Amino acid sequence: MKIEVVRRRFAVSVALIIIATVVAFLIAPTTHNGVAIAIVLDVAVACVATLTLPGLRSSHPVVARAALSMLGVVVVLFVAFFLPSASDFNLATGAAMSIVLLGLSFLTGASGQISLGNSAFMGVGAFTMAIWANHHATTPIFITLLISVVAGALVGLLLGMPATRLRGPYLAGMTLAFAVAFTAILGEFSSWTGGDSGLQLPSEARPPHWLVSLFHSGASPLTTSTLWLTEISIVVAGVAFFFMANLFASRTGRAMRLIRDNDVAAELVGISLPRARVIAFVVSSAYAALGGALWTLIDNSVSPPTYSFALSVTILSLIVIGGIGTISGALIGGIIYAYSTNVISWIVNQTGLNPQGNFASQLNGIIFGGLLILTMLFAPLGIAGAVRHFWHRARNRSSG
Amino acid sequence: MDAFLTSRIIADVLGGLTNGVIYGMVALSLVLIWRSTGVLNFAQGAMPMFATYVGFALLSYHFGYWACAVAALIVGLAVGGLTERLVVRGLYGKPEINPIVVMVGFLIVLEAVAAAIWSSFPRSLPSPFSSIDWQLGGHPVSLSPFTVYEIGASIVVMLLVAALFRFTNLGLQLRASALAPEVSRLLGVRVGRLLTLGWMLSTAVGVVTTILVSSNFFTGLTPQVNDGIFAFGFIAAAVGGLESPVGAIVAGVSLGIILQFVQDYLNSNAQIIVALVVLIVALMVRPNGVFTKSSLRRV
Amino acid sequence: MVKTTTRRVTISGTALLLCLGLVTAGSSIVSAGAAVKKTPGVTAKQITIGATEPVTGIASAGYNQVAKAANAVFKYVNARGGIYGRKIKYVIKDDCYGTPGFGCTGVPNTATQTHSLLGLPVFATVASLGTPTQDTVRALLKGDGVPQLFVASGSLDWNNPHQYPGLFGWQPSYNEESKIFAKYIKATFPTANVCFLGQGDDFGTDGLAGLIAGGVTPSDEQLYSVGALVTSSGASIAPYIQRFDTDKCTIVVLDSIPGATDAALGAALQLGYSPQWVISSVGSDPQTVDAPFVGKVPTDPEQGAISFSYLPTTTTSSPWIPWIYKVIKADPADFPGFTSSSVLNGDIAYGAAIGVAFVEALKATGKNLTRAGFLHTLQTTVFSQTPSLVPLSYTNSNHQGLNGGYLTTVISDAAQKPITGTVYTTDSSTTGPVTVAKKLSAGIPAWIK
Repeated sequence: MKIEVVRRRFAVSVALIIIATVVAFLIAPTTHNGVAIAIVLDVAVACVATLTLPGLRSSHPVVARAALSMLGVVVVLFVAFFLPSASDFNLATGAAMSIVLLGLSFLTGASGQISLGNSAFMGVGAFTMAIWANHHATTPIFITLLISVVAGALVGLLLGMPATRLRGPYLAGMTLAFAVAFTAILGEFSSWTGGDSGLQLPSEARPPHWLVSLFHSGASPLTTSTLWLTEISIVVAGVAFFFMANLFASRTGRAMRLIRDNDVAAELVGISLPRARVIAFVVSSAYAALGGALWTLIDNSVSPPTYSFALSVTILSLIVIGGIGTISGALIGGIIYAYSTNVISWIVNQTGLNPQGNFASQLNGIIFGGLLILTMLFAPLGIAGAVRHFWHRARNRSSG
Repeated sequence: MDAFLTSRIIADVLGGLTNGVIYGMVALSLVLIWRSTGVLNFAQGAMPMFATYVGFALLSYHFGYWACAVAALIVGLAVGGLTERLVVRGLYGKPEINPIVVMVGFLIVLEAVAAAIWSSFPRSLPSPFSSIDWQLGGHPVSLSPFTVYEIGASIVVMLLVAALFRFTNLGLQLRASALAPEVSRLLGVRVGRLLTLGWMLSTAVGVVTTILVSSNFFTGLTPQVNDGIFAFGFIAAAVGGLESPVGAIVAGVSLGIILQFVQDYLNSNAQIIVALVVLIVALMVRPNGVFTKSSLRRV
Repeated sequence: MVKTTTRRVTISGTALLLCLGLVTAGSSIVSAGAAVKKTPGVTAKQITIGATEPVTGIASAGYNQVAKAANAVFKYVNARGGIYGRKIKYVIKDDCYGTPGFGCTGVPNTATQTHSLLGLPVFATVASLGTPTQDTVRALLKGDGVPQLFVASGSLDWNNPHQYPGLFGWQPSYNEESKIFAKYIKATFPTANVCFLGQGDDFGTDGLAGLIAGGVTPSDEQLYSVGALVTSSGASIAPYIQRFDTDKCTIVVLDSIPGATDAALGAALQLGYSPQWVISSVGSDPQTVDAPFVGKVPTDPEQGAISFSYLPTTTTSSPWIPWIYKVIKADPADFPGFTSSSVLNGDIAYGAAIGVAFVEALKATGKNLTRAGFLHTLQTTVFSQTPSLVPLSYTNSNHQGLNGGYLTTVISDAAQKPITGTVYTTDSSTTGPVTVAKKLSAGIPAWIK
């Protein structure tokens, strides 16, 4: 990069930060301190990130990914402030879903295994979260989330060990059986899981004290609105994306892709197939559990039918449409999950269909299923793959 | 003797057999498609469901049970053939996840379309035979004219499929094209047509299963009628080995009987859990299914 | 290698910390200007209300008509000029009863759909369906101050005014229904061997508790799981019935949804076992229950079963029956092909009755509509002109809803008729007696006639 360009960008950044500080000072008396700090910090992080990203990418890829994740988180958080609470909630659900999709994208896309059991792994996380919170109400939220992830990883390990010897259809069959059996397993432990009624979090989930105290003490909108849940979900998703990006680029990630493309060759170069497969399986179930635990937190409760096999089908659909084996595909899938019903009810309104009619109420399934078929037939790498394809074509054309 | 025939154990065996032949048929239809085209057909429940709805739509024009059943079979053959030609054909030779995903999509679409046209309210299919159990000395035998028809029809279908593969020239070609498509093609076998035929056959087997299941007392025909049965049939196919039609049937029937005992002596909730355990144990012992002869896999 | 690992860990750790820090940074810009007092969802011309229902999926069969029927009442009232010039807009969101079944691919859960209702915003939710589904959104609706009215379920969860002042049930609780059953069983079949099969949630457990509170202790009590019912296509119910047959139960009480009632009746038919059935109003609707048996057996196996109704049955001369027919016929968009000779099933009657209850309460609140005013009216008025048999009344300490009805017997695949027509009333406690209701509902209010 030319020094000229760097200098110009630097100057622009400094100017932006100064403007942000001035704005913050101006609005500080009329609003909470936290908001003012937020504006300055967000602008600063954004500037630093854009300034340094191109250079960092080659020299310090990990830092670059961290900066990129943070940039994404900051932007989404910022957008979240201005969305109405319903959209925020959708965003939170979608962010949690994108974590699950990341795990599946890694498992299927990077290592070539198929799992139809992700609804059950989500359920493991969701119920661990609820059960732990009901028995130890004082544990901080982040610790409980971590415990849920560990539980998911352990169940993944348990199921992953026999699964490593299986290929394609047999693995699909086993994970399917697990997903279908999961609600029955919950029923067997009904004293823990609350049977068919499920569990509620002991009290309405509240934001941590330090989060509240930064603003006017006990600011009621913060404790009742869903914004803080959205923030937690987005930040956790950001961290999850950061680790997954590193995993994809790491030695393990490369080994996985080799296994997917040619497992015999992978074995010849000294990669232990069973070990790599177990790792992939455990990572994906841990990610699914994290997503499920977030759902419990967001919904303030968990109910067994949510984690039935149908959810696995939804998860699979989303990652395929988004772009299997890619990180951005998981992001796209999460956004689709968050807002698809809004789009579909908009379509129903536009076309003048009777929204309570048989056809309109089944439109969700028809569109999802149809997209799934079309994606696999015409763009196997989903939206992410298609965008990448056109981007490359456009670049090649302009350069050549 | 009467006491023995109406005993709990015999009741479980007979009840299990009735469920088991259904699981076996689902497994068989999955194996038929897997062997010929290497596709794991997740829409194996939904395609026949759709065909059965179309066939039995004739009921409202005062056609009888058998006429509707034949119509459903014909529609089933058409649905199977068209699916292979229009949806699946482009997927051969692609990574094995691609056809799985496409068939999952097809499943979603078919169930949604069926619910949009016919609603999800259960629809009763008339039954030509009584479902009321025969009595021996005042006790039911767990066998009714309908269950005899159910088991009989399943055995007939299985025998027909076996005869087709064993004793006809067409069956020979089918087997050859599944085992070695390239060689068969060189020898003048029209492999493409045979693949279509495999899908048609499989869907027809599915239609028979669907008609049998939805004419029983409990559910009637709904868009989701085959969802639960598909899971058990799928487990049976995986236990038996996807390459082996005989394995599929044996595994299906055994699974049906085992699960009937589980339901009776434990509880109904435990059925699917036991099925999962059976599957895990079977696959740990033989990762490619119990009845698959060669454990070598293609590289 | 070691060096890079250490560096990676350091960098990852820093990144993690920074991200956590950002949560602090990125917190809410709270609009301070919420000073204008306006009732959400209410304008001079319109009242927006919402509901989450199982529109698709396995729970949709039958139940998806409840909200549509309520909406038919609203449309009817709107066509007559609305209430104080306001028309009711009813927004129904599909929650798939928590996503069981492929028909629900991509459909979000109850919490998400409720949030989207809150975003409209809505004045209240009315007749949202299901115990587990509505349990999950109690805290959410309370937090936003949105009344959660007439939840379509007989759980006791809705009667908790201390913790959830805006939450109201509507139908009699499962306990109340069972206590009335128990009184009848004790009087009519004093020597019977009673067995019980219930759903494995509060439907089954509350129902059983009510039966025992009423003085009937079943010799065998079983709970079935909804999950197994679905995966086994109904076959999972058969062993319970086999057991009851072996134990020679002469009365079987079912606290089951229609699908499980079908499976129980089918299993008994198969065994040649014919006990006296006593079936909860939740799972006894004749048309729904008979659907899988049509054309297979000469008579509806449910015929002769005893059930309970808190609404007038179609065989009676209640003026509400022709009125509901009129209202449903006027809504061909949601009920295509519904004519005077169509069956008025329990789900349609249920939805229509809730619809009437809501418009009556709105009318009683007056022109100046606020949430507080509405809730006050609801708790202090006795609504004696709604389709229910007993008047609908709430107090500030009781939000359960209706508390009585009569026993019925199923007479065909389309209808049930009252056994004696005596309307009983009781409460959900273990000690409250079952008595003959003193006050019954009066006819149709003139303004909607």
